[in-house]
Parts: sequence; C-alpha cells; structure tokens
Amino acid sequence: MLLHLLVLAPFAAAILMMATSKEDPKSSSRLAFLFGFAFVAMSIALIAAGNQATEAIEWFQIPGAKGSVYYYLYSHGLGAWMVFLSTGLSLVALITGRNTFETNYRNFAIAIFALMGAMNGTFLAADAVLFFFFFEAMVFPAAVLIAGFGGADRKKAAMTFAIYTLVGSAPMMVALWYLVSMADNSLVLSLAVALQNLDPSMQMTLLLCFLLAFLVKTPVFPFHGWQAITYAEAPAPLSAILTGAMSKAGVFGFIAWILPIFPLSMKVVDGMLWLGLLTAIYGALMALRATDGKKLLAFSSMSHLGLAVAGVFSLSESMLPAVLVLLVAHGLSAGAQFYLMGIAERFAGTRNIEQLGGLAARNPVFGSLFGFVAVLSLAVPGTAGFVGEFTVLMSLWDMGPLPALVAGLCLILSAAYMLRFVQKVIFGKPAREYVDGKRMTALEGSSISIMGVMLLVFGMHPAFITNALQLFDESAVQEMNKVTHPAAVQESQTVEASADTTGEAEVDENIAAVAQPMTEDDLRQLDSNLKANGFSDEERASLIAQLKAMSESEVADAHEEAAESNEANVKEASENE
Amino acid sequence: MELQPIYIQILALVLFTLGLVTALARRNVFFVLMGVELALNAVNLSFVGFAKTLPAAESVAGQIVPLFSIAVAAAEACVGLALVILIFRNRESVDSDNYSNMKG
Amino acid sequence: MTNLPLWIIPLFPLLGTILLGTIALISSGSKKGPSEGFVGALSVLFPAISFLCVVLLAFGMPEEGIRQTLCNWIDIPMLKVDIGFLFDGLSRVMLLFVTGIGSLIALYSIGYMHGDRGFTRFFAYINLFLFSMIVLVLSDSLLLTFLGWEGVGLCSYLLIGFWNHDLNNCKAANKAFIVNRVGDIGFLLGMLCLATLGGSAILNYDALNKFIEMLIAGGHVELATPIIAVAGLLFFVGCTGKSAQIPLLTWLPDAMAGPTPVSALIHAATMVTSGVYLLARLSRMFSVIPEVLVVVLIVGMLTAFWAAVAGLFQNDIKKVLAYSTISQLGYMFMAAGAFAFDASIFHVFTHAFFKAALFLGAGAVIHALAGEQDMRRMGGLIKKTPVTACVMIFAFLAIIGFPGFAGFWSKDLILERLYTNAPFGEFFYFAGLLTAVITAVYMGRLIIMTFFGEYRGSKEKEAHIHEAPASMLIPMVILAFGAVFAGYLWADSMGIKFFEQTLAPVVSDAQNYALGRISVAHVNPMTFACFGTAAALLGMIIAYVIYGTKRLPRLHKKWGSAPEGFKADWTFFFDYIHEIFIVMTKAFAFIADMIVDKILQGIQWTVGAIVEIVGDGVSSFQARKVRVQLTLSLVGVVALIAVVLMTGGLI
Repeated sequence: MLLHLLVLAPFAAAILMMATSKEDPKSSSRLAFLFGFAFVAMSIALIAAGNQATEAIEWFQIPGAKGSVYYYLYSHGLGAWMVFLSTGLSLVALITGRNTFETNYRNFAIAIFALMGAMNGTFLAADAVLFFFFFEAMVFPAAVLIAGFGGADRKKAAMTFAIYTLVGSAPMMVALWYLVSMADNSLVLSLAVALQNLDPSMQMTLLLCFLLAFLVKTPVFPFHGWQAITYAEAPAPLSAILTGAMSKAGVFGFIAWILPIFPLSMKVVDGMLWLGLLTAIYGALMALRATDGKKLLAFSSMSHLGLAVAGVFSLSESMLPAVLVLLVAHGLSAGAQFYLMGIAERFAGTRNIEQLGGLAARNPVFGSLFGFVAVLSLAVPGTAGFVGEFTVLMSLWDMGPLPALVAGLCLILSAAYMLRFVQKVIFGKPAREYVDGKRMTALEGSSISIMGVMLLVFGMHPAFITNALQLFDESAVQEMNKVTHPAAVQESQTVEASADTTGEAEVDENIAAVAQPMTEDDLRQLDSNLKANGFSDEERASLIAQLKAMSESEVADAHEEAAESNEANVKEASENE
Repeated sequence: MELQPIYIQILALVLFTLGLVTALARRNVFFVLMGVELALNAVNLSFVGFAKTLPAAESVAGQIVPLFSIAVAAAEACVGLALVILIFRNRESVDSDNYSNMKG
Repeated sequence: MTNLPLWIIPLFPLLGTILLGTIALISSGSKKGPSEGFVGALSVLFPAISFLCVVLLAFGMPEEGIRQTLCNWIDIPMLKVDIGFLFDGLSRVMLLFVTGIGSLIALYSIGYMHGDRGFTRFFAYINLFLFSMIVLVLSDSLLLTFLGWEGVGLCSYLLIGFWNHDLNNCKAANKAFIVNRVGDIGFLLGMLCLATLGGSAILNYDALNKFIEMLIAGGHVELATPIIAVAGLLFFVGCTGKSAQIPLLTWLPDAMAGPTPVSALIHAATMVTSGVYLLARLSRMFSVIPEVLVVVLIVGMLTAFWAAVAGLFQNDIKKVLAYSTISQLGYMFMAAGAFAFDASIFHVFTHAFFKAALFLGAGAVIHALAGEQDMRRMGGLIKKTPVTACVMIFAFLAIIGFPGFAGFWSKDLILERLYTNAPFGEFFYFAGLLTAVITAVYMGRLIIMTFFGEYRGSKEKEAHIHEAPASMLIPMVILAFGAVFAGYLWADSMGIKFFEQTLAPVVSDAQNYALGRISVAHVNPMTFACFGTAAALLGMIIAYVIYGTKRLPRLHKKWGSAPEGFKADWTFFFDYIHEIFIVMTKAFAFIADMIVDKILQGIQWTVGAIVEIVGDGVSSFQARKVRVQLTLSLVGVVALIAVVLMTGGLI
C-alpha cells in the first residue's frame, strides 16, 4: 500500500494541485507543503518498514514478448533511501520555491510532484519495463520545469537535457525490448537467465546499451555534456533535486539492474572503475575553474558521483553500504548547497562567484549555514560524507592502492574547490554594488539546517542508513522468485557456495597470504614461544584467543563475501549455465 | 433483372473512386471533405452489399457496422467542418494548397 | 572520583560549542551582540570543567589506564569501529595541558578579543577546537583519532580565517586546510594500509599493539614489515601535514593571520603537536620499522635547522614564533626518530608552556601597539609593559635551554638521546646543538628588537602603549611559571624521573624493543648539560653582538622599503615546490576545461547540428501541397498492398 501510495499519490497530488489558485502562492503552497510532508513521512515509514513488495499486477503485453509486463513495486534498502531523498528534497524544493517564484508557484508544485512520482517509480520498480517507463518519465517534468522556471538560457538547457538523456536511454530501450522478447517476463531474474543463453558478443552489446543510459544519467565522463548547463540554468530547487535524487538513478541503475543482470567481465569492471575515477578527477578539476556557482556545484556533484560509480565497480563486500551512505550523504549535502546557492542568487542577483562575496557580513545567518553545509560536503569525519567516502576508499583499496590514491587526490581537490567556493561567496567584500534581494526565510533556513543535522547524525551513526540495507537478501530474492520464476531459486542457492572468481577474491587472497601467520601450527609455535618467555597460562590463552579471533574474522569476512552479494550470485548463475 | 451482389460492389467502387478523386483533385477544402464523405459512404454501401452474400447469421454484422460508421461519420463531419471553419478564419482561404505551413 | 565516565571530558567543550554557536547565530542579526562578560564566562567555564574532570581522572588513574567503549560507530562488512576512549599515561599528559592551557587561553582571549564583532563565534570555534583536540588524544582507535585530527584542522581553518572580511586571511586559511588535507589523506591511506593487514579491528590501538607483539613473539615481523613500513610512512605524511614538517611546513607561517590566542593555542601548544602524539601513540608499531624512524629523524633534523634559519630573517614577531614552533617540532620528531618517544612528549609538554607564553606575550605586545606586528617598529617596550616583558624573557630563557628552565631539561634530554640512540648519533647531536645556537640567536633578536633599545614606531602610537588587562596577564604569568618549572617533572641530571614513569606503560615497551637491537652509548649526562648551556649562551652572545649593538640602526633606516605582510616570504623554496604542484593542478584543470571539455562540447553540438541538417533535408519532403501529400500516401498504401500480395506477407 505504501509503495503504491508513494508512486501514484504524487501524480494524484499533482492533479489536485491544479485545483488550487494560480494567483495566490500562499494558499497553494500550503497544500503543496502538506503533500510534501505526507510523502516524506511515507518514505520514512517505508525505510522503517523494511523490504516489501506489492502484488504483481499484469499491466500489458509487449509485442513479441513471452510474458507480460507487471506493475510490480519492490522496496529494498537502497531504493527506499533513494525515495527518501527524492521526497525530502522535493519538500525542501517546494519550501524554497515559494519565495523564489512569486507567481506560477502552483505550476511549479505540479511539476515537482510529477517528477517526484516518476523518481519514486524508478527507485521502486521491480519490473524492468516499468523501471524504464519511470526512468524516461522523469525527464519530462524536469525539462518542463527547466524550460518554464530556468535562467536566461533555459530553452536551450531544457532541450539539451531532454534530448541528451532520452537519446542516451534509447539504446537501452532497444536492448530491453530485445531482452524481454527472449525472457519469460521482464523481472530481473528472468532477464538474467535469458541473457546467459545469448552469445558473449550479444551480451556485450546489450550491456553497453544499458550502461550508456546510466552513464548519461549519472553523468559519467565523457557523457556529461548536458549536466553543467542543465544544473546551471535550472531553477536552484530543481537543480537540487536533479543532483540529489535524479542523478542517483544512474548509480542506482548500476547497482540494481546492471550488476544483477549482466555477467561482468574483469575488463568491464576495470573500465568502469577507472571511468568513475576519471570522472571524479575531471569533475574536481572543472570545479576548480568554474566561475558559475551552480556549475561549480554541478561539477562537484559529478566528482562525487564518479567516486560512487568507482565504488560500485570495486565490487567489494562493503560496496553496497559504502555507496549507499555516500549517495545519501551526497544527496543531502549537494542538495542543500544548491538550495543555498539559489538563495544566494536570489539575494545578490547573480550566481557568478567572482561577483559575489561578503555574504557572511551582509547576511550572517545565511553565511553560517552556507559555511556549515560546505564543511559537511568536505567529508570531514563525523559527517555522513566521511563515512561514505572512507568506506568507498576502503573498497577501492581492495582493488589496489592506485585507485585509492586517485580517490585520495580527489578528496584533496574537493577541499580546494569547495574552500575557493566558500571564500568567493561568503567571505571578503562583495565585488560589486547591488540591492539586497529577498533574504533566506526562517522556514528555508531551518529546513536546510535539518538536512545538515541529518548529515551529522548519519555521520556519527551510519547504522541508521546501513541497517535498512537488505537488498537482495535471501528472503527477498526468494520472494521475488516465487512470483514468476520458481526454477531460479535453487540455482541461486546452489551457486552461492561456489568459489568467487571476480577480482576482489584475488586481492583477498593476497591479504590472506600476508596474514598467513595465523594458522594452527603457527599458533602452537607461538604458544611455545610465549611459554619459553615466561608468560603465564592465562596470558597465553587470552593472547592466542585474541589472535584466533582476529584471523577468524578474516575468514568470516571471506565467507560473508560469498554470501553477501546476490549480484555475484546471479552473475555466477549465468556463468554456470 | 435480379440484383446481383456484384453490382452493388461495382457501384460502391465507382462511388469510392469518385470520392477519392474528388478529395485528391479538388482544391476547395469543402469539396475535399465531401469527397471523403462520399468515399466513406461507398464503403458503407459495400458493407451492406456483402451482408447480402453471407448466410443470415453472419450477415447481421454487415448491416450493423454501417450504422456505427454513419454515426462516426456524423461526428467526423462535425469536427471536420469545425476545423475547416477555424482554418478558414486563420488563412482567409478555402484553398487547400495554401495550407502548407507544415513544411520545414 | 575515578568513576567519572571518560566521555564527560569532550562533552563539555561540545556543549560549549553548541551553546555559544547558538548564541552567536541568534545574536548575529542584532547590532550590539550578547554581553561579553556572560559569553566570556561561559566560554572559559566549559574548558575549565573539562580540565577539572581530567585532573580528577588523572589522580585516580590506574597504572594501565582506563578504557571505555561508548557505542558502535560504523558497522559495515569491512569496517567495524566503536567509539571508545583510552585514558592512559600519554593521553593524561596531553589532556592535562590541552584542557589546562586551553582554559587559560580562553581566559586570555576575553581580553584580547574585547569588542570584536565575532566575539561569541570566536569562542564557539575555540570550544569546538578543544572538543576535537580532546577526541584526538582521548580516542582509542585511529579512526576516531582521525575525527579529531580533521576536526582540529577544520577549527584551525575557521580560526585562521576568523577575520574573513580580509581575503588574505581566507587564503591563509585555505592554504592551511588544503595542505593539512594532503597530510590527512596520508593518514587515511595509512589506516587503509593497516586494515589490509588485520582488518578494521586493528585500527584500535590496543589491538594494534597486541598484533605487533604477536608478530614479534611469533617471529613473523619480517613478513609484515613491508606493509607496516608503508603504513608508517603514510602516517608520517599525516604528521608532517599537521605538525608542519618538511615538506608540508608552508602553511604554519601563513596561519599567523589568525588572532594571536589562536596561534598560541592551536599553532603552538596543542594542534601542531598532535603529529608527535600520534608517533608516540603508535610507538609500538614504529618500533618494528626502524627504517621509517630514520626518515622521521632526518626530516625532523632538516626541519629544525631549516626553520631556525628561516626564523632569523623574519620581521613579523608572530612569524618568528611560527618558525620557532616549526623548529621545535623538528626537535620533537628528531627525538621520536631516535626512539625517545617519551622525551619527545616531554618536549611537547614543556614547549606548550613556553611557546604559549611567548605567543600570549606577543599578543599582549600587539595589543599594546594596536595591531602592530612588525618588530622593526617596536623596541624599548620593557619600560611600558614590564610584566609582558618579564613573561617573554622567562619563556625566552626556557626556549633557548637556559639551565634550570623548562626547555633546558627537555631539549637536553632530546640531544642526549640523539647522541646515544640514533644511528650516526654524533652527527644528529651536533645538528641539534647547532640548531639550539641558532634558536638562541633568533629568539634573542626577537627579545632585543621588541623590548630593548629605543621605540621606533610612530609617535602618536607611543602614547597609547599600555599594559594588557588582568584577564590577559594572569594566564601569561601562569604560563611563565610553567615555562620555568615544568621541566622539573623530568630533571634527569637531578634524578627526578616522574614524567618518564608516567609515560612508561605506553612507550617503554616500544623503546626497549627498539633499543634492545642497537648498542646504546653511555656518556655522562653532565657533559650534555654543559654543551647545551654553552650553546644557549653562545647564541645569546651572538644575538647581542649583532642586534643589540650595531645592526639595529641600520634596520631602522631600511624599514620603510622592506616587504611585510602575510606573504610566505621565507619558507625557502618549499612554497615554490608547492607552487609547482598548484600550477600543475591548474594546468590540468585548464586542459580539462579549455581543451577536453571544449572537444566534448564540440562533438556534442556537431552531432546535434548533423541531426538538424538531416532533419531539414527530410522535411523538404513536406514542402508540397496537401493534395500531393495525400496522393503520395495513397500510392504508398497501394505499393504496400502490392508488395504484400506479391510476396505473400510482410514478414
């Protein structure tokens, strides 16, 4: 019920919003806030409720396909958190939008709700066709918002955004159609099973088609052409949603669709890893030079998401929680920064950071908040960003020191551009004379600082986020299989025990080699050594026990690894057949 | 002379061709519309004609479908005329050759 | 009273931060601001309570220390870390002077920051700094230490750029943060490196020590040494960043742009010594990798010498002290490099007193001269500000190692250990001794130029020179006492070894292990004391000869044309090396922006343009009359039907 509400109710809300007054933003905003709060509450309930799925309702039949397309929603930790981002950021967008768009607020709210519904659908869809439907549906409200409420160059930005992303996902549509025509139906498992019957070159082609859509959406270098202009020209609240929630659809796609469906060769994984790192560095370098505040933030987002993509394709056992925390942290911090930049633009009348400055003196509360949020985005320990980036770095370190080093470089660069940004916007003296625009209202300030406080809370207790994470756990997979594909259940179970062949296993073996001293024989030898050195029995026993625990935890880690990631299972299921 | 079913079909064909040629050849948009109507009615006639050749149980369809299509044609005529009026207001012309603003 | 929970120590500064931050935020709109007395009282109260807790805990501390785990922090498959605190001999010493000096400097700041617009904000930052610093030294795992580590870096950034209306201050702050970030990444990678070895559990200090002991006991040290050595080097990179050692030393002189109490607290007494603390904390790990310690030794020696020489040429009073701090930190690293972790911590301890006193004295001088920092416009101040002058002179005697003062004991100890423990000990000993002479010279120069001779500033300023208020003097005097007597906690030649015993449970294992493998030379300690005293006296004499007699008039003539301000003019070529990296980054950014991005944009728009052209071409089919279009479509239908009829179906 919750799932249906989260996906369908935003559209209903959009329709209801049409009934409100167009001239009076005050009254229509009240209704919009009400809806917004309701959706946020629902998304929190969704996270708290854990994994759940709706009944699979037959929707329609694609010509040439064996099974029909289901209207089938499924919530797992990752999707639920993304939904939270989408609803939460939409609410704050509605709040800040009220002071930015005096007239026409109603239409703004309508489009935001439509966008929210499409995003929720994307993150919750269990059916590939349904996912694709929402994935494409996201583009239209966003493009309309850009064209209707954007900056000076808004028409071009809207066209670039819409065409680039739609063209990017067109190959995915073809690939999906092809795949669906092979498969029993369009759920993940049957698609994966269908894929393994194809020959490798075909698999590769399909994979590239799928990858392209997500690469464009994220965006990953070199498919980022739409991003800077779109984020810069879009109204700031929309930019916040775009970067905070919508761009996550790309990373989400990698995790929830690419990894389970496709057997990834080492080459692809490596390629994607380095592409992600390249994006991270490239985004950071571009951010160093950007003079448009929103473009700077756009490139900063690109950099962070590049890191997230690299983290995804490190495929380590802690990849999922690490990336999830990183995504949530980035969504909140980048979103907050875009809102604040929007308020700065409203206040000072420009978003060129060379012409801003001195906002800390002119508008101290705003300045403090701006600095606070900037610090949060720097991944200082104690914030969620740190937990995310540290764990991602840890995953990358598993792939080898070089990726981790590159990611470390990226962190240094992030400090450089973010401090430059802060300095130019709030410190010093304003570079020009201007009449103060509308200040930040208390409601805006408090809603943005709530986002900041959430980042702190998640930073000190990331379990809030990671606990929700039971993506593809045992019961969930079986639940999903029961619906349509009973045969695959046993498969995935039998495959589980088989050895892992992907790259991180190699690295782990290296670790194991280093930690080799901890075998039984060594322990015995150690024991005798200790005895000779005059340790008492108790001391020896406790030392040995500790040592054992230490080495066992490694072994346990290795086991967990095998059991942990279903994407590996599915992948192997396909390989085994 | 008994009415052979084929005569009806021939008549329908003649009417349809007339309608088609009218629609294609005339520049006046009203005549185009009339031609379309004529072609439509020719098809109706053809339906009725075929109804005669089939056994009684199935022939009913051939008599019912024209009823539908007449109703639809009435609606279509309304919309079509309304469109023509609008387009006339815009263009100050009933000449269909002037309606070429779709070109790139 | 030992049943106090440990989290109560960082709790109070944190409460102070939140409270003062809220007050600052609320009052930021109003013209007048909150009452300074009220805010000042609050801001001293919280660190003071924290200090009190530390004292209470310190007296009841059992030999092996107190360990408390508060709660779980991160729990994901590869990373399980708890928030836990470790209160042992090392953290006790560090906490005592961090909270103690922190409280004193907060008190001092009330007078110094009087009338500043950001009064409340300043104290919120100071409290946040103390919180981070306490977490740094109190934590029981590397990851939590890292929280404090970056936290103090952040506070340093905030406080250096405190007067943010001046962009030069912001730039200095940015530089500090970014250079520190470079070091922090070293720290981060070091942690990852260790985690490779034994999982995230090893990030806990106790577990790490146990692990190393296991390796030693099992005789497997060689197996793990390469990884440990890499980790050790990476941690040392972190230390060079935070403690301003070569090659990351350039930020500290620039950091003097911040208010003077900040320089005293953060950039002299506490934060910059956290690198030394980390080495001592990880001493067990470093003891199995003597190769890395040699690197530490060399870097420390170079830094100490380098910064001392640079200190000779500074005209800004705070910059002299900044270089002096870097130089003294070099001493500490030398000590750590020579397996004398306890001596390095002892020097941290005494240095905190005399350097804080020097900075606070300098602050009082600057306060008296209404913001003048150039020593060439000072002189003769001993008559106007006698208390400040006395404090500074006591601290001066301490820093140059004049017999009986705090610096004497700690510096002599370091030099002695260098001689006995280090490879090529004689060389490092003489390098240290030489540095001590230079130290005495530039510090003597500072004292002479500031307090003796004639006043060289403008006449109208002279009238306003006044002694600092009591709230500033009291902390200075207390610190001066510390500068004189702190050394007697470990007066080696008098047989007092209290300090050594305090630290013994933490570092003695490591030191004994490391020293067990080399032969320790035995020399009479009195010899070292004599040499040390001679060095100090020699330096003082040189300073007097050069600056006390002839040089000053010449300086006086030239000061109109000499450069001044916060430009990093005398970090020798390290600023230029950094500049190379910055320029490289900028060049890459330029390539990314102007070339790569333009090419990509070009491709994108070319594709767009091609599509448009093709579309234009195709749309020319549309340029017919409606009747023709209709006919064409009919022909098309007929053709289709014909095809279907002839081939028997479309598919």
